[in-house]
Amino acid sequence: MSCHLVRERAAASPRTLTLRARPLRIALVGQPNVGKSVVFGRLTGRYATVSNYPGTTVAITKGRSLVGAEVCDVIDTPGVNSLHGAITEDERITRDVIAGRGAGLIIQVADARNLRRALMLTSQLAEFDTPMVLALNMIDEAWTRGVSIDVAALSMELGIPVIEMVAVEGRGLPELRDAIARATRPDVPGHHHANDRAVWAHALTERVRRTSTFSLAHVQEALAAATRRPVTGLPILAVVLYALYLFVGVFGAQTLVKLFEDDVFGRAINPASVWLADRFIPIPLVRDFFVGQYGLITMGVTYSIAIVLPVVATFFLMFGFLEDSGYIPRLAIFCDRIFRLMGLNGKAVLPMVLGLGCDTMATMTTRILGTAKERLIAILLLALGIPCSAQLATIMGILGGISFAALATLFTVVLGQMFLVGWLAARVLRGERSEFILELPPIRWPRLGNLLTKTRLRVWWYLGEAVPLFLAGTALLFTLDRIGALAVITAAGRPIVTGLLGLPAATAQILVMGFLRRDYGAAGLFQLAHSGQLTGVQAVVALTVMTLFVPCVANFLMMVRERGLRTGLAILGVVTPVAIGTGAGLNYVLHTFGVRF
Amino acid sequence: MSSIRLASGFDPVRSLASLAEGAHGVIVEIHTHADARVDRLLALGVTPGARIRVLQTFPGIVFLCDQTELAVERSVAAAIFVREEVRR
Repeated sequence: MSCHLVRERAAASPRTLTLRARPLRIALVGQPNVGKSVVFGRLTGRYATVSNYPGTTVAITKGRSLVGAEVCDVIDTPGVNSLHGAITEDERITRDVIAGRGAGLIIQVADARNLRRALMLTSQLAEFDTPMVLALNMIDEAWTRGVSIDVAALSMELGIPVIEMVAVEGRGLPELRDAIARATRPDVPGHHHANDRAVWAHALTERVRRTSTFSLAHVQEALAAATRRPVTGLPILAVVLYALYLFVGVFGAQTLVKLFEDDVFGRAINPASVWLADRFIPIPLVRDFFVGQYGLITMGVTYSIAIVLPVVATFFLMFGFLEDSGYIPRLAIFCDRIFRLMGLNGKAVLPMVLGLGCDTMATMTTRILGTAKERLIAILLLALGIPCSAQLATIMGILGGISFAALATLFTVVLGQMFLVGWLAARVLRGERSEFILELPPIRWPRLGNLLTKTRLRVWWYLGEAVPLFLAGTALLFTLDRIGALAVITAAGRPIVTGLLGLPAATAQILVMGFLRRDYGAAGLFQLAHSGQLTGVQAVVALTVMTLFVPCVANFLMMVRERGLRTGLAILGVVTPVAIGTGAGLNYVLHTFGVRF
Repeated sequence: MSSIRLASGFDPVRSLASLAEGAHGVIVEIHTHADARVDRLLALGVTPGARIRVLQTFPGIVFLCDQTELAVERSVAAAIFVREEVRR
């Protein structure tokens, strides 16, 4: 009892310094896309991945914040719509953070425009009987839409501090810190039925919210409508794809790669390293390890920095822009019908598009899908047919230089194969598809600072994942080459590689590299094509196989982590024969009809 | 499941799937066989009493519920019943 009293007194006088064994744990909770991660960043000075669609806060981010004189642990949680009934994995994680590990205080971040929805969650959070603060974020957007909220009345009704803020601009932050010190346990009626809760939330909203009919957001609304209507939306999609091609495929993969590969590495770094190695490393074996044919610098670093980095950086920049603008979820409307034939619904477009950046990242994001069957199919399709950015750029770089027909052939074959496998999987696998219900975020002009931070973090994440594997892969190739195993592998692969697929024998080792990382293999193909060793038909076949081929090690490990070893191996067992079979079939057809690109 | 006409007015109650673009009204009822559907809709603010406006009907149904823009497939829209406000 005395403990209880102390807490109440602490709540009443914010300047009292409370002694605690552990820092106070503050959980940031709220619906998807209301700005929790931005509030987190503002409170702690740390950056949590911010995006404009659900499923981006897949791991829990923790940080420290000073509130008054007290240091608190702030925990960012994945977005939740409900903590009862049929809940998603994200919702389970969030419930665990609050209940399981015991949050001492909850800050509910809400989108001020959607008060009714927010209150339904408030009512559920109240059941944890923990001191709370309600932060109405994006209040500026509510005002532009003619929505205003009587904060004092709402605070009275809920029995907790309620504040208004615009987190991206830092407005309302002092008020939030102040409110944390005044946090109290909510005083709202308990609801057993979701329906009762809805009625209560509706009535309360009507009491405290004023809506006028005017809206200042006409331009935004017109743009939002244009992107989701087929008549205007499909041309817009074509323009977006073309812009993506120009920025990543031409500027990134050709201009920048040429600059780095030919000038920076070809003329400066590599000759300099060779010169240094010749002077200072007397042992030929060691010298070759660094600057030989499979040298760490001449191959490993050159591939990762000169060929892959420019592509990945330009892709993530463009992807971040599309993501922050709220455009990507709108594509789900167009994809819904096709995806339904593959046992998915339109929502699956989110992991698929992210997969164009990195399949490993996207595999993690399949958690946003409703059922186990959908997650499995999405992971399978990501592994099978979605080329990651580096691979996509290589495809565009090689085939774009040959002909449009070559590019079209590859995409037709890969998409056709994905559809076929998805269609079969939908029929073979047991389980249900979930219904398509998706919230479309408003169209916004992305903030440059946020965009740059996000791109920088993603590129760092990518380099951290890729470069060690590139170097390890190069060292492995060097070793295999020295002990003669590379020749054995090349010879063993010859019947398939040169026979079935009609490719040069050297492609065998590139496919091995492709398993370590798909982009690494892609970079190998790029060099092969660059030096004129592939004909048009060979390039199309090789890239088709590489695109469909087994996912890279990182992606494989992620599949195992998400779905277990058996499923991971099963996916591998499906994808590999499909890739080689398709390549062989394509090679046969192209040769039979005497196609030249 | 015949349509219910509330005594309060003359406006017809129709399913969201049958409404034309631009139509608006108030949700009166959500039919379902699966609780999961209701839970998800309720969590998104699609509740009886909520005002909606139909923004688009093809290829999927898009509607505005409060300030939330939602896209749903036809079978879901068919289970949401709306008292349409007819402009006079």
